[in-house]
Amino acid sequence: MASNVVSPASKTSSRGGDSRKHSDDTRLALLFITPAAVGFLVFLIWPLIRGIYLSFTSYNLLTAATWNGLNNYKQMVLDPVFWNALKVTLEYVVINIGVQTIIALVIAVMMQRLTKSLVVRGIILTPYLVSNVVAALVGLWILDTNLGIFNELLKLIGLNPVGFFTDGPWVIPTIALVNVWRYVGYTSLLIFAGLQTIPPDLYEAARTDGASEPQMFVRITLPLLRPILALVLIISIIGSFQVFDTVSVTTQGGPVDSSRVLQYYIYDMAFGRFRFGYASALSVALLIVLMIVTFIQYRLTRAGQTDLA
Amino acid sequence: MATLAPVDVTTDSTPPTIAPAGRKRVSVGRVIAWVVMVVIMVVTLAPFYWIIRTALSSNGDLLTHPSDPFPVGFSLDSFKRVFGWQTGAAAVAAGGAGQPINFWLYLRNSVIVSCLVTAGQVFFSAMAAYAFARLKWRARGPVFAVFLAGLMVPAIFTFLPNFVLIKELHMIDTLIGIALPSMLISPFAIFFLRQFFATIPNEIEEAALIDGASKVGIFFRLVIPMSAAPITTLAVLTYITSWNDYFWPLMVSYTDKSRVLTVALAVFKSQTPNTGPDWAGLMAATLVAALPMLVLFLVFARRIVNSIGFSGIK
Amino acid sequence: MKRIGMIKPKFPKFAKPGTTRIKAVLATGVTALLATVLSACSGGAGGTASNVISYWLWDSSQEPGYQQCADLFHKANPGLSVKITQYGWNDYWTKLTAGFIAGTAPDVFTNHLTKYPQFVDLNVLQPLDELPATKGISNDEFQPGLGELWTGQDGHRYGSPKDWDTVGLFYNENLLQKAGVDPSELNNLAWNPQNGGTFEKLIAHLTIDTHGVRGDQKGFDKNHIAVYGFGGLGAGDNMAQTTWSAFAYSNGWTYMNKNPWGNSYNYASPKLQETLKWYFGLAQKGYAPTYNSFSSSFGGFNQLAANKAAIVQDGAWMIATYQTIKGVKWGIAPMPVGPTGHRAGPLGSLADSITKTAKNKDAAAKWVQFMSTAQCQNVIAKAGVVFPARPASTQLSLQTRKAAGIDASSFVDMVQNNETFFLPISSYGADITAIMTPGLQAIYTGQKPVSYLETLNEQVNRLFKLN
Repeated sequence: MASNVVSPASKTSSRGGDSRKHSDDTRLALLFITPAAVGFLVFLIWPLIRGIYLSFTSYNLLTAATWNGLNNYKQMVLDPVFWNALKVTLEYVVINIGVQTIIALVIAVMMQRLTKSLVVRGIILTPYLVSNVVAALVGLWILDTNLGIFNELLKLIGLNPVGFFTDGPWVIPTIALVNVWRYVGYTSLLIFAGLQTIPPDLYEAARTDGASEPQMFVRITLPLLRPILALVLIISIIGSFQVFDTVSVTTQGGPVDSSRVLQYYIYDMAFGRFRFGYASALSVALLIVLMIVTFIQYRLTRAGQTDLA
Repeated sequence: MATLAPVDVTTDSTPPTIAPAGRKRVSVGRVIAWVVMVVIMVVTLAPFYWIIRTALSSNGDLLTHPSDPFPVGFSLDSFKRVFGWQTGAAAVAAGGAGQPINFWLYLRNSVIVSCLVTAGQVFFSAMAAYAFARLKWRARGPVFAVFLAGLMVPAIFTFLPNFVLIKELHMIDTLIGIALPSMLISPFAIFFLRQFFATIPNEIEEAALIDGASKVGIFFRLVIPMSAAPITTLAVLTYITSWNDYFWPLMVSYTDKSRVLTVALAVFKSQTPNTGPDWAGLMAATLVAALPMLVLFLVFARRIVNSIGFSGIK
Repeated sequence: MKRIGMIKPKFPKFAKPGTTRIKAVLATGVTALLATVLSACSGGAGGTASNVISYWLWDSSQEPGYQQCADLFHKANPGLSVKITQYGWNDYWTKLTAGFIAGTAPDVFTNHLTKYPQFVDLNVLQPLDELPATKGISNDEFQPGLGELWTGQDGHRYGSPKDWDTVGLFYNENLLQKAGVDPSELNNLAWNPQNGGTFEKLIAHLTIDTHGVRGDQKGFDKNHIAVYGFGGLGAGDNMAQTTWSAFAYSNGWTYMNKNPWGNSYNYASPKLQETLKWYFGLAQKGYAPTYNSFSSSFGGFNQLAANKAAIVQDGAWMIATYQTIKGVKWGIAPMPVGPTGHRAGPLGSLADSITKTAKNKDAAAKWVQFMSTAQCQNVIAKAGVVFPARPASTQLSLQTRKAAGIDASSFVDMVQNNETFFLPISSYGADITAIMTPGLQAIYTGQKPVSYLETLNEQVNRLFKLN
């Protein structure tokens, strides 16, 4: 992973050579990362190490943890609820990220190319001002099979009502789309920020060459946006894997296990059932999945890279 | 990371006439684009209609008319409950909660926490991002990868140790205790800013170095101003995220003095496993808590567009 | 103020590397910010003094009543005062758990039957019989059974009962009227797992499809229902407090070999299997909602209020919530009589517990004892939210409700006629819930046959053998 994140700045300097005398900024760099590093070690790394340790123990939160080696992991491999949760979570992530990224990209490009209206920008972000829990509750009301307005509308046009939060095949797509609604504006603003790095002159030049908007999107926007788009994807996928609130409010994992996502299972295991050791092992599994996914993404975004000019 | 190439292109191909993006001839493509945009905005706003409609209704009528498209039993009582203007008994009778609500104190607390988090997180992350993007040091790649991995640490690992730590620092029930864990670092912010800092052309930096600028000076006078748009974007989003944060402030706060708006307004959520929430109050609370954020965003919305740009620098 | 002193030495650590100008500026800036915030918040961590007893509850509608009790308590014990804090259900338990770990738990808190066995196992509750003020609390003071529910396997008392509840039928009077049913008929219903008895006949008649055809008429379309005769059907969990447990018990079933504190559950019993076959079968016949008819958050209460259900089964604690409905007349009837010849309803109870970390246990015990007295329980009775644990206060509560136009006597009758049963109290409660909830949903939705209960029961009982 490390070798993939070398910035363009360093690439040029090794080519150039005139900046040799500045080539070692170690002391300054350490100074600059100190505050972040302190926060990182205290609030993220120490808890992480502790969590990994606890995944090898039997721990009920209130009495001392006792070492039990690989037992939690052995149990996990044989736990059908875990494998199902992993599958359900993946389904959620695919739908959530797929839809969200495409719509966000469309919105961002339009905010750049179609309209500079502040009102549009404001509207796009409004769902993010509503908390996860409230977004889920509003979804419950609007989408309920018998009490929701949306199903009333479906009935008006002659369709059968749908159990969005109660019908096995529907629950994960519904939860995924509720969260697309909330996060798409946020994502599109991040992408929009990335679009700002593309010099407007490029579009002008392409226009004089007679390029159409779609051509410009493919030949200018997409390639130049790639670093930011990769970032946005990584961030949102990591966030998406940790979906919890919406499930907890709307379906509590049901029907049966159709929406029992990993994070919900972990949380119940830790704070409902006080099996923190096992919950830690499940969390380590989630962490490993995230690392694999991120690694693959880094590879892919680099491998697929084509320089425009 | 094909970010250097465009600079070469722009130097030799930019015609001096730059037409504003808005003034273009009407084409089928643009019409379709507008239709898509309007559809997206309608879908975005539709649930807000339902939030407003519910906030303006009274709870008793909402239950009997769950899918009536208009406010039922029109009333502004829900807003009175949010601001704490309704007596406890009246609130309970209307399906709300009976506690006193000290709205302005909670608002102040929220503002303080969000300011601390945003200022700290954005500034410290910018420093770190600068080190990762533009300074040359041996362990840069691996250290950055480790920071990036910080994004993936599950919340369930961090919650309890951080809570115990804040307790041992005697910061339970203080605003600083709420803000501290996210003030120093956000791997996301570092990652985000690093991507932008990396896109700044080397030639500009080298020119500044030749002019005698120090690396510290470059950070403050060059990198930060040139990245004003992404920094503003990040700051606004961080502020909103911190404003909406619920679980951690709930854990750290024990009394009114450190209670932030989201935690205080949670009394409108379901109180027991069996009864329903104060729907009208909850939706009114949502609107009231979101409004300051909307104003904040509109104030800064103009600035999330890069005013300097690359052509401007040259 | 003390706190600032403790934190201050930490600042120089940030400030020291300030050899460069930015660092210095930065450090002063942050220090100034922190100082402002800290001085703004230097009030002290509320309620840490040992003469202030911290007390938590989750039900905000009960807070005004207990605040009154707290004021009375302060008057009786001028040296002591009570600080009440309320958190919503989910937050409450998470914050309590975190509090146990970090030592920030309250001195006294409202405890729940589903949670306390776990807390007993985790050794965080103070036995009340070991403290002077609560030593004298006796089971005889409360409604029969309540004291027993809150006594641990080791014979210690872990909670002082504050209220009780059971279940009954809530009916929508408007819908009954339209069907020509007199509410008093609901007092004489009986059910059985074979043909459902008079209860099923009644709910069939109360059910209306989208074309206006009733469930007991020809041409009834069971797939398109406008009004369910019996709403609020649910898969339930290991307790099934407001779903099938009342029916199963009136069919002669019991949760486990010994309650409280048994170690072998009876979910595989044929009695339960036939009960569930009939109960979930009501949904297939159209008389009750199927799993996907309503979100799990919109149970019987919402369905009745929206005129989507004529009769629902609900708990006594919901009366105050039903009172907020506008435009629907409603009433309460007892559960139907089952094959055993009796009605049955689960007896639930909340209680006050003292944490092992309480700063001043004697003072905490005084407050707990005060809440169990007639003086405080009568205040709670008049607040009209729950039935207090003392029989005399229960009667007072009944009168308060009568004055408000609500006849809640069927709940009290069930207790007096000995027709209640204990909710299951055993170890591994949360683990059992995790097994039973999805399992029951699978049966309700038809993914698994009723005999799947045998598999579930095996999984449940394995918990007691393995651990």
